[in-house]
Amino acid sequence: MDKILEKKSLTNWLKKLTGYDVYAPVLKDDLWNYEIISDGDNLELDYLNTVQAPKKFIFPQVENLLDFGSSDEGTPEITETLPQPNPTVILGVRPCDGKAVILQDLVFGGEFTDPYYWNRRNATYLVGLTCNTPPSPNCFCTSVDGSPHSQEGLDILLTDLGTKYFVEALTDKGRKLVSAGQALFKAPTAKDKKDLEQVKTGSEKKIKRQIKNLKKVPPKLKDMFDSPLWDEEAMSCLRCGICTFLCPTCHCFDISDEVTSSLPLKGHRIRTWDTCQFPDFTMHSSGHNPRPDKASRLRQRMLHKFQYFVEIHKKYQCTGCGRCVSLCPVGIDIIEVLDKVRDYG
Amino acid sequence: MVNLDELKKEAKRVLEDGKVKYVIGYVKSKASNMAAPAFVTDPEEIENLIWDPTCVQNLTKFIVDEKKRKAQQKKPDTRPVAVVSKGCDSRAINVLLQEKYIERDDVFILGVACEDLGVIDEKKLAQKLKGKRFGELTFDDKKNVVATTTDGTVKVPVKEVLAERCVECQANTPLIYDVFLGEEDRRKPDAPFASVEKMESLSNKERGAFWQEQLSKCVRCYACRSTCPMCYCDECVVDTINFAVTPDTTAQEKALRIKWIERASTKSENFGYHLVRAIHLVGRCIDCGECERVCPLDIPIRFLNKKLEKTAKELFDYEPGMDTEKPALVASFKDEDPEEFIR
Repeated sequence: MDKILEKKSLTNWLKKLTGYDVYAPVLKDDLWNYEIISDGDNLELDYLNTVQAPKKFIFPQVENLLDFGSSDEGTPEITETLPQPNPTVILGVRPCDGKAVILQDLVFGGEFTDPYYWNRRNATYLVGLTCNTPPSPNCFCTSVDGSPHSQEGLDILLTDLGTKYFVEALTDKGRKLVSAGQALFKAPTAKDKKDLEQVKTGSEKKIKRQIKNLKKVPPKLKDMFDSPLWDEEAMSCLRCGICTFLCPTCHCFDISDEVTSSLPLKGHRIRTWDTCQFPDFTMHSSGHNPRPDKASRLRQRMLHKFQYFVEIHKKYQCTGCGRCVSLCPVGIDIIEVLDKVRDYG
Repeated sequence: MVNLDELKKEAKRVLEDGKVKYVIGYVKSKASNMAAPAFVTDPEEIENLIWDPTCVQNLTKFIVDEKKRKAQQKKPDTRPVAVVSKGCDSRAINVLLQEKYIERDDVFILGVACEDLGVIDEKKLAQKLKGKRFGELTFDDKKNVVATTTDGTVKVPVKEVLAERCVECQANTPLIYDVFLGEEDRRKPDAPFASVEKMESLSNKERGAFWQEQLSKCVRCYACRSTCPMCYCDECVVDTINFAVTPDTTAQEKALRIKWIERASTKSENFGYHLVRAIHLVGRCIDCGECERVCPLDIPIRFLNKKLEKTAKELFDYEPGMDTEKPALVASFKDEDPEEFIR
């Protein structure tokens, strides 16, 4: 379903979305982040990409899995705490981050579906925005089978056409949001459609960074487990979690029990983000660590995204958002590393 | 001005002489406008080294890394590593020496003077360019940063975009070195604690609200800890299982290990983490400001350390890393030490 929404009507549309929590990118302390929008009056969808991907709405950093305790008689009691979130609209999702949600779905769906994830996922409406110009100098979506106007994972894709948005409602959820705005949406003219195509084609050409022949990388990685390349590339790594915690597709987690009272026993079992970049991620209880150094951990990040995930799901586990490149304190550049892998040997 | 050719010559000399294992310096990064650390073993590659106000990282961290790496190797190469070191970074080396974490022979210091400049703060620069996207940064001989933007080039005096830590810097010239490059021009800042004094002028309630908001942003990526040359502990209080486990550690010992700070990145646990870290840096933090620069969520962590630095200065007239002859602050006491705060 294709529609046109005048920019000045955006606020009116959001006002009609009663019953939804609406989040949009807001600039605070020089950083773009999703904040809840109460009226949307000062909303301008002219933002660089948010520092944190919308993944945090669907796969939050801390998820309470269950509460535990013991009754007065001492019998253990366990209460499952499945989230029941309000319907939530995330406005202004970059196409790379929309696609990332599809990749997360593969992990939390499939053979073992994760109800905590899906309760949030099903309540989340993703309204994307085409990147007419790349929001980061390190964008490389076109190299990983994506595009600045990709529709994957989104319920609606908005494209800025100057004074109006071209609105493509892509799913039932998207169409539901559009119908809430009823008369605000007009049918597109032939010219609008032509403009849309032009903007979309133009947007791809503006992506500056690219990895040529990425398809050569996954087979190559298979033979590079013991390569000295990892030692060289990881020399400057600080072993922090920026690249993975801010990655829209990284999904590793840890489960721990947090006791709030010992008598009577009370506490929560929580799931928190974890990262392969922390030394304790693979620490065995014996004290042995199979990934003992930062080279093996950098290798893991590359192999998971560009070999294992490709083998299992036939997709790269990277959407080219560029966050890990731009935010790495020491300039470790996934594009450069993959270039070296491709040309190695 | 530091003569870059001179720096390269010295670096190449120690490398070719086999005097050092490798040289830690700065190179241009493809990924960012700031420099990237480089580890040069091939004398030919010394050519790539740079020295300019984008050289933000405190390379002293990598001396700590080298020590840890050597500890894992059966037959480590015991030659020193050479490191390009700014004034603040050299203070960090001093603290490591003072704490006997490293030996003087472990490191060959190529000291570089910042003179009247320092390093730039990318965010300040971005504000100057009023949201224009900038590509390459270069520096002219009049001490301007020249940024290539989508609408041509923009010149901004480096001084206007200096990192706050450089504005308040107390050691723009290296304090310890084997080779010294540049002019020795020890400037004293007019107000070394201006930023934290501004914070102190707020009421308790205002400060409380400020930190509640700031620390609730923390995602516990631990980049602040990871980049800090003083955070060299093998065992950190925030890591649930990163304590020294030996084959003799029993399951019960592991289970009973107290978790001082929980894994959840909730406000209270984030406060726990940041305050524990700050307290452990009293008399040790040399204000390289890297913790704040690397924070992806722009939490102004430097305030915490600066406040404690100021307190140590006021109470004990102690400045970390300035004088290695003095005993470390927390490892010494004098009869005349003030104790009004012990109640």
